[in-house]
Amino acid sequence: MLNGFMKKFSGKKSSKETAKKRLQFALVYDKLEINEMTLESLQKDIVEVISKYFEIDTKSLQLEVQREHELSALVFNTPILCVKKNKTYNAQNI
Amino acid sequence: MEGKIIVVTSGKGGVGKTTATASIGAALALEGNRVAVIDMDIGLRNLDIVLGLENRIVFNIVDVVNKRCNLSQALIRDRRIENLFLVPASQSDNKDVLTALGVQRLAKQLKSEFNYVIMDSPAGIEKGFENSVVAADEAIVVCTPDVSSIKDADRVIGLLYARSITPRLIVNRIIPEMVVRGDMLSHEDVMDILSIDLLGLVPMDDQVVVSTNTGVPLVMQNQSLAGQAFRRIAKRINGETDLPIQIPTVKTGIWSKITQKLGLTK
Repeated sequence: MLNGFMKKFSGKKSSKETAKKRLQFALVYDKLEINEMTLESLQKDIVEVISKYFEIDTKSLQLEVQREHELSALVFNTPILCVKKNKTYNAQNI
Repeated sequence: MEGKIIVVTSGKGGVGKTTATASIGAALALEGNRVAVIDMDIGLRNLDIVLGLENRIVFNIVDVVNKRCNLSQALIRDRRIENLFLVPASQSDNKDVLTALGVQRLAKQLKSEFNYVIMDSPAGIEKGFENSVVAADEAIVVCTPDVSSIKDADRVIGLLYARSITPRLIVNRIIPEMVVRGDMLSHEDVMDILSIDLLGLVPMDDQVVVSTNTGVPLVMQNQSLAGQAFRRIAKRINGETDLPIQIPTVKTGIWSKITQKLGLTK
């Protein structure tokens, strides 16, 4: 039981957290028949597009899998720091 | 009588399908139902030995489907539990000898004679699995809290949905001490990943080995925690849908009590 305490306060990730993350992504890869590289480059592209319009914190960007029955959803979560001024101006001009 | 056919399946082998089938079947019979448990693992029969009925086999499911005998000749009546019957698998054939049509015909007859028919599916997702689910009204997916079992369970759940069956989940062999330590996925984690309804949680229990050693059904041993869990599962199947699901907990030790009080464990 002491072990539980140590893990709770040391901030070290428990092995079940690792198992859960690995499983969630493995199931998405299987279902979509894609690999990790595809997902990473997708994430990179999305960051690029969003960065055109918003100042975002790329470090705290999170990629998660949400599932309900037969549907899997990839959820990109990113805090927006601020809107890029020149971009909104351009958008209005168009 | 219009009974229900319930298939017990998992994808991965060795997660406790046969133990679950035997236990749920026996528990449903103890509740007063007429129950038949069917071993669909042709070529690797085990349900008979788990139930302690291996010495009484004359005919098997292949004989019935191929009309070498009547259903009543292949049904083995359990002498300890009233209204519990077994249709054993054949040991010499392989899984291709059964056809979907043959299984459906047998299922129809079983449904007219029993309240519950529990089919013990073989591991895998090939012909043996197909034959086990072809006549099923309901499905129970058994998994253990480890990555390979959960991954296979996900695949099987997908295949069941494709047949318009909404399965329910049993998480087997939970070790509460490891869950507390964060070294085993909790049932909540498993449900997050698989997102299906939970039917029951079964703790790891030495008595399972003792039960299979002796051929005495687990649910007849009152001190068995796994046996109690399966009896509650059977009650839930049998209509007591509001019976709460018991979460296996660490019972002894002062540390566990303290961590539980502090909210570090569930």
